Amino acid sequence: MTYIAPLPRAAIADPALRALIAEAEKLGVPDDLFPRILARAPEQAVPLMRALVMSHAEGNVDHRLKEIMRILLARFANDKYFANLRSKKARAMGLTEQRIDDGCSAYEDDTKGFGAAEKCALRYADLMFLDPNQIDRSFYDEMKQYWSEAQIMELGAFIAFHYGMQMFMRSLGAKTAS
Amino acid sequence: MSTNPDAIDAAFFDELRKYYSDDEIVELGAFIGFNLGYHTFFGTLKFYPLFSPDGRLISQAESEKIYGAAPVSLGKAEAAE
Repeated sequence: MTYIAPLPRAAIADPALRALIAEAEKLGVPDDLFPRILARAPEQAVPLMRALVMSHAEGNVDHRLKEIMRILLARFANDKYFANLRSKKARAMGLTEQRIDDGCSAYEDDTKGFGAAEKCALRYADLMFLDPNQIDRSFYDEMKQYWSEAQIMELGAFIAFHYGMQMFMRSLGAKTAS
Repeated sequence: MSTNPDAIDAAFFDELRKYYSDDEIVELGAFIGFNLGYHTFFGTLKFYPLFSPDGRLISQAESEKIYGAAPVSLGKAEAAE
């Protein structure tokens, strides 16, 4: 049980939020616990949910890579809620639990099969909150070898937003999916 | 939430509830999470405010000199004028 009780699903009348909940459930991330808590701040619930779902499932970076990055961040945040959710879309694209575990803890290991671009993106997520001082001009120069500036912004915003919401859910004591 | 998230426990929420409704606590928590994430990201991009504390449009190089080393209190800057 979270420290702040989620609203009952039936109490959510906003059609935009209901549509986003349905879209997220189709994706698998998040389940309805997160939006039912967010719904207590209705002016913020729709834009935050839209940003969460769009930044994860849309854009110009491989969704499977972003799913690994999302789980890496959730594990680092010690957020049991988001760390235990899985994207059905990524799974349908072939992402396995072994690949997720390798991406979270051993992506630099050449035997794990991550390419240079994937390693760089995973390092970006890894360092952002572990040691942001290492994300300097030379790091961005390396990123630009593999990713366009638009993709780097997509990745950076994705990392920042998801980590922030993971820390928020951790603070609420959300440990399992509803 | 950023420096010691383990300190945010049931007792902490009980204290918050003395001053804020559950709805307001969700608003605050989401706001903090959003800012926690984005300020760290923005910090890596090394960009600084477009204006000096006295309202002048300045270059990023000058802005870094003013704001780059440590957060600046605009109140102190105004007081120094």
